[in-house]
Amino acid sequence: MQFSLKSGLLAVALAYSAHAATTITVASFPDLDRSAKAALDGFKKLHPDIEVKVVSLAYADHHNAMTTALATGANLPDVMAVDYDFIGKFSESGGLEDLAKAPYNGLQYKSQISRFSLPQGMSDTGALAAIPTDIGPGALFYRKDILDKAGVSEAELTKSWDSYLAAGKKVKAATGAYMLANAVDLKDIIIRANLKDGEGVYFDAKGNALVDNARFVKAFEVAKAARVAGIDGKIGAWSNEWSEGFKRNQIATQMMGAWLAGHLKNWLAPTQKGLWRSAQLPNGAYAAWGGSFYAIPKKTENKAAAWELIKYLTLNKQQQIAAFRAVDAFPSLIEAQNDSFIDEPIEYLGGQKARQLWRVAAGKIPASTVDKFDSVAKEIVNSELEKVLEQNKDIKAALADAKALIKRRVRR
Amino acid sequence: MKAKLNPAYLSAYAIVLGGAVIMLMPFWFMFVFATHSDTDILSVPPPMWFGDAFLDNMRLLLGRLPYFWHNLGMSFYVAIATTVLNLFFCSLAGYAFAMFEFKYKEYLFAGVLSTMLLPAFLGMIPSVLIMTGLGWMNEPRALIVPAACGAMGVFMMRQFIGSAIPKELLEAARIDGCGEFGIYWRIVVPLITPAFGTLGLITFIGAWNNFMGPLVIMNDMQMYTVPLALRSLSGTGQVPWGAISAGSAVAVLPLLVLFVITSRRLIEGLTAGAVKA
Amino acid sequence: MSLSDPSTLALESTMDKAAPRRRKLRPWDWAPYVFISPFFILFAVFGVFPMLFSIYLSFHTWDPAAGLSAMRWVGIENYTFTLTDDWFQKSVFNTAWIAVVAGAPQHLIAIPLAFFLHTAFGRWRNAVVGFYFLPFITSSVAIALVFTTLFSRDYGVINQVLTQLGQLPVLEWIFPQQKIDWGQPEYTKWMISFVVFWRYVGWNTVLYLAAMQTIPKDLYEAATMDGAGKLQQFWHITVPMLKPMMFFAITLTIIGNLQLFEEPFIITGGTGGIDQAGKTAAMHMYNTAFMDGDFGTASAVAWLLFIAIALLTWVNNKIFAKSGMKD
Repeated sequence: MQFSLKSGLLAVALAYSAHAATTITVASFPDLDRSAKAALDGFKKLHPDIEVKVVSLAYADHHNAMTTALATGANLPDVMAVDYDFIGKFSESGGLEDLAKAPYNGLQYKSQISRFSLPQGMSDTGALAAIPTDIGPGALFYRKDILDKAGVSEAELTKSWDSYLAAGKKVKAATGAYMLANAVDLKDIIIRANLKDGEGVYFDAKGNALVDNARFVKAFEVAKAARVAGIDGKIGAWSNEWSEGFKRNQIATQMMGAWLAGHLKNWLAPTQKGLWRSAQLPNGAYAAWGGSFYAIPKKTENKAAAWELIKYLTLNKQQQIAAFRAVDAFPSLIEAQNDSFIDEPIEYLGGQKARQLWRVAAGKIPASTVDKFDSVAKEIVNSELEKVLEQNKDIKAALADAKALIKRRVRR
Repeated sequence: MKAKLNPAYLSAYAIVLGGAVIMLMPFWFMFVFATHSDTDILSVPPPMWFGDAFLDNMRLLLGRLPYFWHNLGMSFYVAIATTVLNLFFCSLAGYAFAMFEFKYKEYLFAGVLSTMLLPAFLGMIPSVLIMTGLGWMNEPRALIVPAACGAMGVFMMRQFIGSAIPKELLEAARIDGCGEFGIYWRIVVPLITPAFGTLGLITFIGAWNNFMGPLVIMNDMQMYTVPLALRSLSGTGQVPWGAISAGSAVAVLPLLVLFVITSRRLIEGLTAGAVKA
Repeated sequence: MSLSDPSTLALESTMDKAAPRRRKLRPWDWAPYVFISPFFILFAVFGVFPMLFSIYLSFHTWDPAAGLSAMRWVGIENYTFTLTDDWFQKSVFNTAWIAVVAGAPQHLIAIPLAFFLHTAFGRWRNAVVGFYFLPFITSSVAIALVFTTLFSRDYGVINQVLTQLGQLPVLEWIFPQQKIDWGQPEYTKWMISFVVFWRYVGWNTVLYLAAMQTIPKDLYEAATMDGAGKLQQFWHITVPMLKPMMFFAITLTIIGNLQLFEEPFIITGGTGGIDQAGKTAAMHMYNTAFMDGDFGTASAVAWLLFIAIALLTWVNNKIFAKSGMKD
């Protein structure tokens, strides 16, 4: 009773405030901030009474600042951008407005958004804490020239993990290039592949750690096999060795979000235009690699204006396409995914219509759930994998240790 | 003289000078890298001499950090304000501890000294909450005011005033009818300018280099200090090493200039003054 | 009335110097309290209060969304969790490791270096001291960023120098033939320790140099007359006379190294690196507070760390006192 009264009042307040001239703040991070800034003109035309200010911090700093803002209840923006890696923690924090409820009724847009991405923004209790604005369908990128030289076909890459590893050995032998930057990448895909809807990567619905199941064993085995075969460069993503490895033709394939194409073109390997191609992930795997969300903190005013902006950024087809063009953010809006832009050939990828591939992947990625402690589990699993790869730790033992450690670290 | 030229001495000289080269090496590379493109920096072998890409790097830096000059201004503002306040408050307190007899003086001074043992991180978390409560988050005063009177400065000033100013001088001034603050302002201050130089330099350097404070207080790129702004360039995405080196050089340059100007006094001040405890 | 309020009196007395001074309380009785009050007021507001508040926080947990008003008392749960937390233990181990590996050589090198600078170099002394002191005054952030490129595995200067040295005949026993991946857990701490050592060795040299100025010259003259060489003078005069300063400098190093934050934070990009091999206790506290939003546990971490520092300072004090090293 009291509840419905409250939300009714809120709806009235929201309706009222939407018509008064308001200024709202969007807290974001690169490159997402660019797509928000690019949207301002269009939004202003629709809502001349709403002023929008975009503030931006470096990726890690932004999420730290938002964590602190939520914890202290001060310095909160009206619209908060949240990256995929933090969405579990933020949506469980309870500090974000439940967008499933009135007046938002966000779930009505469920069918319009990539099926796997909306559930990621939902908490255990079914509250919708954030709306996805872009998604990162996982893709395999490969250097066609290097593979041709080694006599390896695309089918060999993608058929199965064994065939991928075998192809890697051929590439290394024939060209000297590493098949992939880091064996850890393989683990990251395999633990995400073949999940069922509603399953979590690291935790089940009751919060039990899953890290010793067959998925993780397989992931560790494949990664270890790649390391033993000497086909990975032991290079961490985003390091100097990584960017230079691309420039110096030392890396033959890279599995990552589809947005990597933009990074390759812009700065990682601008001179290798036409040499790269994209394919689906090996072994029929479909996995999400990043993605961005928008949320409204509970403690902010101007919720109505904030909601209008979020709807514009996430549900407006033109805006979604514009962001895709500007920063290679793959649209979460299905309508935008069906735009003719998707069918345009990508010059950097040798004229390949790669966006069509990524759309297929986006449709097949399972709707897995996220957990507040995913980042803790990820960190622990990565540490144990490093021990397996570098110190020959037994895989079963490593995963058992990881599970025990997660159990101790996690306070529910 | 002749004894100093034996092999043991020569090798000692060589080792000490070699060590000095290692000490200077990172600075050398910072300035050299500031004038090279990222591709040059990451080549084998790396550049050892200056290139011509400094302006390109600065342009790149300003593209990635549109507020860089504002950040630099913020660094200067915070460092200068902290320094001026410290010079005033520390010398005032140091004067009181050196020249007056008053009840509980020893306990109070011991209290000042013991605060030096408190680690900075202890206040980090609550201070965020306090600054939030005061509405000082994201404001330079949140960095300046808490640091306005450091224990180290009080200690230094007490040592110096105690040794440099005869008490009779103050007695004479009192007899002439000079007020207590007037004595401080007109007699003490002019006599302690050398100590102001040393303390000012130390405070300025400390405030300029402060990282933890701005890291938790500032949450707007525009309000960042230079160290914070530079750090935000490394991390995920393209790391512009040339631009970072150029920015680092700009951040370090004021300190280098200050140091070269004052190094003789600073080192002599430190080597002479620090032991009088 | 105004007598009870020193601040108004201070104003009066500076404005009106002719004011009668024959009062019960003379200006120089209360003036010192006014002069020292800024320190104590600032310390009370920004020092004592936060600390008390942080003790209070460390016994609480709260739902971040509801803000501080929804704090819940959890007793010592934050402390027991922290003490049994593997990540905290690891960060303490890392901190201690770096403190020793970066700290001990600082003093082992600074003392003979200071002695040599004290006896030799003549008028070039200040310049050489300046070179060693320079790292101490520069921005640790700028320099840590530069070091990240220098330590880069394939393109860093340091690996190139090391592997070059590894090619030479005798030195191949000491230096690596392969490039070292400094990001690997077994090397991360070495990398951080080197940067910390580099930054503070000059500071310690200056401290020891300062102490050496106070050693009476006639002690050395007497020793020279007795035929003692420089080395003997070093061992039998300089080192014993330096002990008070050693106590002071080592205490500073302990306190400084145990709260090490900036260098590892920047070099490892805030994460502590692979397997958290370079994550110090202060970083663990920062991450607990600002990445996890758990201010209660982070406060508990801070206090546990403070207790450790206090204990070590006390032990250091005892060791020096016992061996008669502290005067």
